[in-house]
Amino acid sequence: MMPIWTKSGEKRAVTLLKVQDCHVLRYVSKEESGGKTAKLLVGGKNVSPFSKPESAHEIFKEAGVPRKQKVTTFNVTEDAIIKPGTPLYAAHFRPGQFVDVTAKTIGKGFQGVVKRWGFKGQPASHGQTKTHRRPGAISTNKAAKVYRGKKMPGKMGNIYRTSFGLKVWRINTKHDIIYVNGSVPGHTNCLVKVRDSKLPTYKDCNKNPPFPTFFADGDEELPEDLFDKEIFQFTDSSVTFA
Amino acid sequence: RVSSDGKPPKFQPPPKPVIIDRKTQKEERRFLSPEFIPPRGRTDPLKYYLERKDMIQRRKVFNIPEFYVGSVLAVTTADPYASDKSKRFVGICIQRGGKGLGATFVLRNVIEDQGVEICYELYSPRIQAIEVLKLEKRLDENLMYLRDALPEYSTFDVNMKPVPRMDHEDIPVNKLQVRMKPKPWSKRWERPKYNIKGIKFELPEHKMKAAQKWSQPWLEFDMLREYDTSKIEEKIRKELSKELEK
Repeated sequence: MMPIWTKSGEKRAVTLLKVQDCHVLRYVSKEESGGKTAKLLVGGKNVSPFSKPESAHEIFKEAGVPRKQKVTTFNVTEDAIIKPGTPLYAAHFRPGQFVDVTAKTIGKGFQGVVKRWGFKGQPASHGQTKTHRRPGAISTNKAAKVYRGKKMPGKMGNIYRTSFGLKVWRINTKHDIIYVNGSVPGHTNCLVKVRDSKLPTYKDCNKNPPFPTFFADGDEELPEDLFDKEIFQFTDSSVTFA
Repeated sequence: RVSSDGKPPKFQPPPKPVIIDRKTQKEERRFLSPEFIPPRGRTDPLKYYLERKDMIQRRKVFNIPEFYVGSVLAVTTADPYASDKSKRFVGICIQRGGKGLGATFVLRNVIEDQGVEICYELYSPRIQAIEVLKLEKRLDENLMYLRDALPEYSTFDVNMKPVPRMDHEDIPVNKLQVRMKPKPWSKRWERPKYNIKGIKFELPEHKMKAAQKWSQPWLEFDMLREYDTSKIEEKIRKELSKELEK
């Protein structure tokens, strides 16, 4: 995470996400998947092919791509289908867009009820016998049972969670890095899925995005860094208020 | 000269000239700002490389002078609510923290009997000028104990003139030992954990001995805490000099 400053001198924190060897692996049509839209399988970071059996390599062989560590699905409309095997770059996103970022949260292991669910526990003194971080009562007398989903101690973290509506401040096309506002679930260097935001406030935010994606072999020559309009670029001189 | 056994005196060759290359010596000793050195961790070095690029870009446009903890600085920042739209603060640097773009430094001064500390971000675009009025080092890296010292040690004239200094001189180390206000202090500065050399402790002997109870003499031998930055510093210095000359 890194600080960036806006043109009015306010500081924002930003997370850096690297797009590392992303390729489209397979196109699954609407009828085949049985859902409402077509799906595209996309694979992430490259990994050694020797730790999995040959049967697991089929998808990658069809697309002509080395084995990927993670394969995710994206629900796509019919006009945004991409041929399997095309690489995806950070320039697919543009500054000023809003994205949702999904990742597995940091695993905390087996945790008690105070840390896991934020229960208050019991006081430290005034006669409490061996009861300082326990859940207390778990149900009422009339219910005569414990309801399903009762908050109790258990394994915490290491589940998929999403941060919604994060603004993209800057894109580095040379190293394929997306600078996304705020924090993102997961530990440093973990795998992350970045999608266009589904929030209704940001429905009309994308003005002329690269559609269906940014193709590197096209005619467009993008500069090394793409900045948002609001961001303070270090090539400018210090901020002054008129 | 009289020879020892009648033969002519042995030929003594003149001493070889010792060439001191002042330029390379200066380059080796050149100051590297502490926020460039990346902390130990599992982050990708690419992240630090990109941050350093941004820092170098800012330094090309805006001059961030060399300064240490203990030097007196004057900082002008942009302020939308001031009449001149800018604010100037003079103070002694008591702490330099943070790494990368978020590097900060805290300036302390006593204005009209009120101690004021302001924490500035080195790379914030609001800062319009940083002047070093007096460049010097102190005996410690962290002067937070000035809060519990007598106010005369933290007062600096707001209209102080910059102290002239020659380029080739070494940075002077001010071996001032500061006198403290009576206890209680905000932190127990006599304890060996803070390792403060710049205070003239006027505490009784038994109190100083009792404070040594909290010493951890094994810490200096702990190998897991060692972080040798010499090679990293070399690389970063070369990178910096290359980029700044462009």
